[in-house]
Amino acid sequence: MDALVEELIRIKGEGAGAVLVTVVESQGLDGFDSGSKCLIRDGRIVLGQVNDQELEQTLLQEAAERLSEERSRLVSVETASGGQADVFFEAMPSPPKLIVVGAGHIAVPLVRMAKLMDYHVVVIDDRILFANHERFPDADEVVVGDMAETVKDLDITPTTYVVLITRGHKYDEPCLRELLDQPAKYIGMIGSKRRIKACFERFKEEEQVSEELISRVYAPIGLDIATETPEEIALGILGEIIKVRRGGKAQSLSQKR
Amino acid sequence: MEDIYDDVKEFLDKGETVAVATIVSTKGSTPREVGAKMVVTAWGEILGTIGGGCGEADVRREAIEVVRTRTPRTVRVDLLDDISSDSPAVCGGIMNVFIDPWWKEKETDG
Repeated sequence: MDALVEELIRIKGEGAGAVLVTVVESQGLDGFDSGSKCLIRDGRIVLGQVNDQELEQTLLQEAAERLSEERSRLVSVETASGGQADVFFEAMPSPPKLIVVGAGHIAVPLVRMAKLMDYHVVVIDDRILFANHERFPDADEVVVGDMAETVKDLDITPTTYVVLITRGHKYDEPCLRELLDQPAKYIGMIGSKRRIKACFERFKEEEQVSEELISRVYAPIGLDIATETPEEIALGILGEIIKVRRGGKAQSLSQKR
Repeated sequence: MEDIYDDVKEFLDKGETVAVATIVSTKGSTPREVGAKMVVTAWGEILGTIGGGCGEADVRREAIEVVRTRTPRTVRVDLLDDISSDSPAVCGGIMNVFIDPWWKEKETDG
């Protein structure tokens, strides 16, 4: 148990994603009894042993799903040899990362609210007058630099959420282009319906970007809650992010006809 | 994620056995979500919470047994039972709590 507890503490410290698998009940499975455990990280078992290869594959697959859902669950598994077990998958997802591109008037309340919800927050702008720690005291990282170039070099994972709210579409669009084939869980872009449509048409015609990639983008950004002030817009954006993260049903502006 | 494993490590390093109680499934309205944990020591001391109230007290009692016997068990907590009581923990749901003994030398794989 010693090694397991130390590994759990280390994983938490690093903010790495992992799944702790515990057998709650089992029948006909040797060495896979109530209380047996294994720890899964980066798609493999890093602690503990499973003798049955088929069972191991089932556990790995299930663990990957639980991690992407960020939800723990009790699952009933069966093996070809007739064994059966109730297995608890405890998802320990890495903290979600929010990347805010554009440090204008919406970014300020957005960063504050996102920190309240324990996101790891990165702010990017090419103007040091806007992208600085005085303006964003809560932000984990503030980056000054060409926005599209900076976005290109980011480590984007399935727990990354990206918000494009720069001062103009001529800055948003190159950033979006860099993001489209990245595995981000959420990409939202500000702008009017007309301007967004024109942007998407151009991507499709000039750069052969697929409809599938484009349909992932939440634009116009935010939930349909008739926002007016920068604070309200920030709330609408964060609400949409939570909807995507947790699988909610509220209507997005991008779904509105 | 809760900071519960640091506490667990402290107990294990002292040579104690603790019970780790985890909500593994729920039905209806429950005070805490699947995955919520609490640690119970041999003396019945509790760290963390699975929702408080009578349900938690039941789990605590079972957990002390789990520490003593070093054998895991699953406890079904029925929050429908005392719907008429004044306890703030009345939610109307059911939760299954897996209680697992942890001690330093225990093998991870059963």
